[in-house]
Amino acid sequence: MTILSIRNLKVDYATQDGTARAVDGVSLDVAAGQQLGLIGESGCGKTTLLKAIVQVLPRNGRVVAGEINFKGTDLLRLPPADMRQLRWREIATIPQASMDSLNPVERVGSQLTKLLAVRGGYDRRAAKRRAVDLFDLVGLDSGRLSHYPHEFSGGMKQRAVIAMALALEPSLLIADEPVTALDVIVQHQILEVLRRLEEELKLTVMLITHDISVVAQVCDSVAVMYAGRIVEQAAAAPFFASPAHPYSLGLQQAFPNLARPREQLVSIEGYPPDLREPPTGCRFAERCPFVLDACHIDDPQLQQVGADRYAACLRSGEMDMLRQQAEDPALWQQVEVAQDSAPAGQSPALSPTERRGESFIGSATENISPSLFMGEGFGVGDERPLLELRDVSKRFKVGGGLAGLLRGDEEQTVYAVNNISFSLRRGESLGLAGESGCGKSTTGKLLVKLLDASDGEIDFDGAGLTALDGEDLLRFRRRAQLMFQNPFEALNPRFTLYRSLTEPLVIHGWKDENERLERVVETLERVNLRPAEVFLDKYPHQLSGGQLQRVVLARALVLQPDFLVADEPVSMLDVSVRAGILNTTRRLASELGLATVYISHDLSLLQYTCDRIAIMYLGEIVEIGPSQQVINNPQHPYTQALIAAVPVPDPTIENPPLRIREGVPRPTERFIGCSFAQRCPEAMEACLAVRPPQVRDAEGRITQCHLYGEHSASPKLNGGSGMLA
Amino acid sequence: MQQESLAREGLQGKRTVQFRQGSALRQLWETNLEVFQRDKLALLGLFIFAFFTLVAVFAPIIAPNDPLTPLKNADGDWIKDAEPFWMAEPGEDEAEGYVNTFQLGTTNIGRDIFSQLIFGSRAALLVGFSAAIAVAVIGTVVGLLAGYYGGWVDTLLMRAADVAFGIPFIPFIIVISAFFDPSIWNVVVAMAALLWRDSSRVIRSQVLVIKEQAFVSAAKVSGASELRIIFVYIAPSILPLSFLYGTLAIAWAILTEASVSFLGFSDPDTISWGYMLQDAFNSLALSREAFYWIVPPGLCIMLTVMAGFFIGRGYEEVLFPRLRRM
Repeated sequence: MTILSIRNLKVDYATQDGTARAVDGVSLDVAAGQQLGLIGESGCGKTTLLKAIVQVLPRNGRVVAGEINFKGTDLLRLPPADMRQLRWREIATIPQASMDSLNPVERVGSQLTKLLAVRGGYDRRAAKRRAVDLFDLVGLDSGRLSHYPHEFSGGMKQRAVIAMALALEPSLLIADEPVTALDVIVQHQILEVLRRLEEELKLTVMLITHDISVVAQVCDSVAVMYAGRIVEQAAAAPFFASPAHPYSLGLQQAFPNLARPREQLVSIEGYPPDLREPPTGCRFAERCPFVLDACHIDDPQLQQVGADRYAACLRSGEMDMLRQQAEDPALWQQVEVAQDSAPAGQSPALSPTERRGESFIGSATENISPSLFMGEGFGVGDERPLLELRDVSKRFKVGGGLAGLLRGDEEQTVYAVNNISFSLRRGESLGLAGESGCGKSTTGKLLVKLLDASDGEIDFDGAGLTALDGEDLLRFRRRAQLMFQNPFEALNPRFTLYRSLTEPLVIHGWKDENERLERVVETLERVNLRPAEVFLDKYPHQLSGGQLQRVVLARALVLQPDFLVADEPVSMLDVSVRAGILNTTRRLASELGLATVYISHDLSLLQYTCDRIAIMYLGEIVEIGPSQQVINNPQHPYTQALIAAVPVPDPTIENPPLRIREGVPRPTERFIGCSFAQRCPEAMEACLAVRPPQVRDAEGRITQCHLYGEHSASPKLNGGSGMLA
Repeated sequence: MQQESLAREGLQGKRTVQFRQGSALRQLWETNLEVFQRDKLALLGLFIFAFFTLVAVFAPIIAPNDPLTPLKNADGDWIKDAEPFWMAEPGEDEAEGYVNTFQLGTTNIGRDIFSQLIFGSRAALLVGFSAAIAVAVIGTVVGLLAGYYGGWVDTLLMRAADVAFGIPFIPFIIVISAFFDPSIWNVVVAMAALLWRDSSRVIRSQVLVIKEQAFVSAAKVSGASELRIIFVYIAPSILPLSFLYGTLAIAWAILTEASVSFLGFSDPDTISWGYMLQDAFNSLALSREAFYWIVPPGLCIMLTVMAGFFIGRGYEEVLFPRLRRM
């Protein structure tokens, strides 16, 4: 039975520069018990669609046409008072960043019972009973009902929000990016909760996300949105097996996949069209590698392409062939190079044919030339590491100072990084992974001397970093660079790109303006921003996120360093352009013989980019070794948990249940034994009492765990119990 | 497309650098331009300031008489309490032995009110601008240093700001006036000594935000010195804020000077609008309904203060656009 049926819905936003049609003719059916995943990159209209359904559009938004039938009534004709009755009781939403939607000054239980009493008509005692049930349902301890939101961890808050959404047994649950801001282990647990609830309560769910692996894990059908339209709709299994629209195809290949790693990821370069003046033909045509001339003229409509499958593509008949072609990443890069030449907002000026013609100039350069430039200036056999860390620690003091003294706060020490050691050769890439707060970013800052180590020594090319100053420091600054997470913040908004890029050169004494310009242009072209001249006079806000991140990369490379730290280089970007940045970084690192440290929470990304991976937990490296070994055969129980938690963009592969306990200890705690022992499913008695040894295996991997040391026979701590999440 | 080919031509022909250097001053100029283009009230404020500046500069030419010397009639007596010529009864002046050309009449000791009003603008603008500069400069430097360096520098400067917040303003000026000779500079000194507290706090908080942004770290990583980071990366972002506090300080200073003068702590040899009000008040001008003595200086104070706030408001709209939506 269809409970929600949207017909030809059109939503307009009035903006300063004209009207943008954010949702343009969307038709969609959701049957009872169905779990529909709505995917697409940011700005494609997913959230607008949600807001139109619940009718909470912002003031400048307006539904211009269409109908939204919910159980036979058109929501658009419903008086506001009736609509209010429907929300939460019939249609419940988990909004974006919902963890912040709990009232911080009210106990969570009281928020829940109030909701039950006011909206559900429960009396006090029944409301309390129901609240306890709901907490049980989402896997929260009902003793927690009397706690305030700040006493909850992120995952617990998310569970509480889910409990609230389900409180009145809605017929439809709409979740907007329910796991996006969460760490991978917590994300896994929340997805597990969702999956269990779907089964137990026969929930009807509409899940909005940019992450196709989340959809693969919890949804049974998929709709792909692009530029305000649905371009493909299908059941999950066939969708993931054989996508029927080039955009879905690209999205799928853009995603790094731990289970089936790719040689090279695909990047759908370019940008969604300007919705104030949408193109006449297919909206994806500009970025599509299979584009025909007809695509720019005919506007394809969603049509049936198979049993219960719909796609809006002129070439949907040839999809089997196209899918094979799409396996070749070079195909997608032709578009990449061409698109980069047109900065945002200017793209309509270039005709597609011009673009295509230009594209072949650059397409060859993107291919990775393995170590072509290596061995110049330094022998391949040169084993002396470029960078070496020995027992490096970093501590921060918090709560001290005059104010703390007056308030009576005790000074606390945060142990951000504890005794880590590793080394890095020229041309090598190392990935640092771990949950947020594990000290990976602090390590990154230590490596480029944005922070100084509290203990231990970091040697860069034989010289200790801590003691570096004056000329030596400046020389180090030239050789070690950092690439930032948020490209929107990494460039001075008041500088033109030329100024931003030329600053490092000015600082390092390049007096001749023409030489500087030449280097800047050359570097911009290296990172595939061509023609470089177009970008020089632009300000950061005139560029898209992907372009900005390329500029950030260019600034890091403009001094031609030996060492680059990339701190979450793509986490702020849309999936479709991530691969482009990664490919460029990887290519340039190998061309220039750069030693690279990638910092990321995303293991599949690190597997894609790194020779070696180090897993960090509470400031320690618990496992470090060659990427393939670490990912395919993890030794440390924490690594095993992290890898098991990564959702796979394939509905046929279900993640194994996690065995580790929730809750990272506070970084102010010290442990006599292993810091992971509290959460470890394999914990033994020795783990609590003795520091775990660092065990090196034949492949050169080092694991810091008692399981592989002399205490491996130590009696197990009362396993089983409490090991559930 | 066109831009692209132009850029290419320029580069191929001669590799000259024509890309604009976004200097701090140019940025500031652009912000200023934006303020006055966007906000017509701010533009009005600017006109008011310009008007009074002209009046102040050309005061000796505009003013018909010396503002401090009592005017005398043919007999050598002071022309006391003359009404403006457009109010006075015809023939009265001739009977008293003078020609009434006084636009705003005379005071009780025979000084020309209109000339006082003209010269009063000098005191107002002098106090206003010097106090504004002092407040903006001290506040900016303190805010930059405290925000950027943090630690004990921050503690020291911000506790000093706390002390400045604890000192009541008008009584402080009165005390200063007691120590030094009465002068309009007392007001400037007092404002410089106290009013940096507001601007430094706000600027410090802004610096705290900016210095955590990645582009500052990026500058550090590429080897920029601390001074370069402070003055090339951070200062330009907060200069408009200094300007905002400067314009507000102009209004404050004029108002304060008027209050202090009205309370009688000003230099009797310097004419200011506040002094005129005090003079009028003391000589019972109110009971004689001599509105021509009281209203004009009041109006002038009001106009200049309003001008300051108009400009300040324009800045706020540009600097904090979110305010507009609320």
